[in-house]
Amino acid sequence: MSDPYQVLGVSPSASDEEVKTAYRNLAKKYHPDNYADSPLADLASEKMKEINEAYDSIMRMRKARAQGNPNSYGGPFQNSQGGYGYANPQPNSSSGFTDVRSFIINGRISDAEQILDGVPAENRNAEWYFLKGTVLYRRGQLEQASAYLGRACQIDPSNMEYRAALNQISTQRGGYYGGYNPTAYNSQSGLNQACGCCNDLICADACCECFGGNLIPCVGCR
Amino acid sequence: MFGYIRPLKPELLVREYESYRAVYCSVCKVLGKRYGIFWRLALSYDSTFYAMLLFSLHGVCPGLEQKHCVANPLKKCVFCKSGLPQLQQAAALSVLLTVSKLQDDRMDHGKGKVLASFLIPLVGRSYRKAASDYPWMEVEVRRCVEQQVKAESQSDADLDTCAAPSAEMLARILEHESSGGSPISQTRVLRESGYYLGRWVYLMDAADDMERDTKSGDFNWFVKHFGLTQQSTDEEWSTAREQANGSLNLTMSRLCAAFNLLDLQSYSTILHNVIEKGLPDRQKQLLFKKEKK
Repeated sequence: MSDPYQVLGVSPSASDEEVKTAYRNLAKKYHPDNYADSPLADLASEKMKEINEAYDSIMRMRKARAQGNPNSYGGPFQNSQGGYGYANPQPNSSSGFTDVRSFIINGRISDAEQILDGVPAENRNAEWYFLKGTVLYRRGQLEQASAYLGRACQIDPSNMEYRAALNQISTQRGGYYGGYNPTAYNSQSGLNQACGCCNDLICADACCECFGGNLIPCVGCR
Repeated sequence: MFGYIRPLKPELLVREYESYRAVYCSVCKVLGKRYGIFWRLALSYDSTFYAMLLFSLHGVCPGLEQKHCVANPLKKCVFCKSGLPQLQQAAALSVLLTVSKLQDDRMDHGKGKVLASFLIPLVGRSYRKAASDYPWMEVEVRRCVEQQVKAESQSDADLDTCAAPSAEMLARILEHESSGGSPISQTRVLRESGYYLGRWVYLMDAADDMERDTKSGDFNWFVKHFGLTQQSTDEEWSTAREQANGSLNLTMSRLCAAFNLLDLQSYSTILHNVIEKGLPDRQKQLLFKKEKK
């Protein structure tokens, strides 16, 4: 295995805290959520495994070196497909499209699409729209994908699988996984205003003190 | 290309900014040497990014040297000492894309048309030169132009179809860098990164041109989809802008994911700055901060 310190991009002299931060940042970067239904998901999970192993081995080495420091080991992130993210379509026994699902899971997108396109219009149910949307998303036809997933949710609003897929897309649209979010900027400027308000008060206090008054009395002055 | 792929300067270290400048100036110099002094005007941030990415993928880390700037002989600039093949490749892409942009302008209306019709006869030789140096690249650029015309002439074209030619072009151009000993996984990552970068550039360009195209009447998917006219209210405009920003973000999420998996050997922090901070900043500046005319 390659040098675990190199994998995490920290120097061997880095503190435990620094190693942990580097590990956290990398784990966030390659988290399965970022690669939900991406054709590169397998590469990301390999990378995640590498990072987990590197972190584990560094922590093991350090623990062995300095016994009696129980707080240094935080344990790795769970690299599971569960949680709130949108995972790949799972094998589903009640599905009318088991073959399509298995093609998608194995990355055979054209085969999946061929079967889907062969389905006559009257048999196209919610699941059909969901799978077609998934295929388009893989391909990079993101706008069409959202339209199809939206249609799937419209036909079957109670289905959590379809709902999760559509939610994932709207989070991505919101700029959560990269890009620009105008509302986040506004809330930040709100914060700045709050800071500015404090600054103004402090300035006013300083001015008053110059003239012998006191706007913000503090313990030290009394 | 269009100059959208640039770093967010305040977030660069001074030495990173200096190496960015060096690549920028070197591409400019190579353009002038290979294609003639006027081609320096075709210098763009995009070709600088491409040159840096080539350096990074092939593990080239050219040293720096101080020399006089050709555009301004009184100024001293930092240049790359080596890395000529990559710089030439970036210069060629710049030439090919500039000429194809001119051809596109000639088909549009507005001011650009006159200028383009005047320039096109003058740039033919340089185009052929670049094409004979990098025939594979010319094939991709030409295919993109042809597909674009075809996509935009369809009456019911959706956004994905319109963006596909640019996305596909950049996907293939980046994919080309993996030929040789690199593992197959790297080819996939390069392809995916190129695809979403090309898609982002197309969407950004269309979103940026919304106002101009309502006046000139040229094809613009957003204008058509949201039914924008010169009489549209501010509310209609801001809805269109927010929708366009959403599409850009959706593309960014896939781009960042792919770019993180690239095996970058040098200039990694600068390239990540461009993708993770520079591009979102373009969205912010061009969609939400621009002077509303």
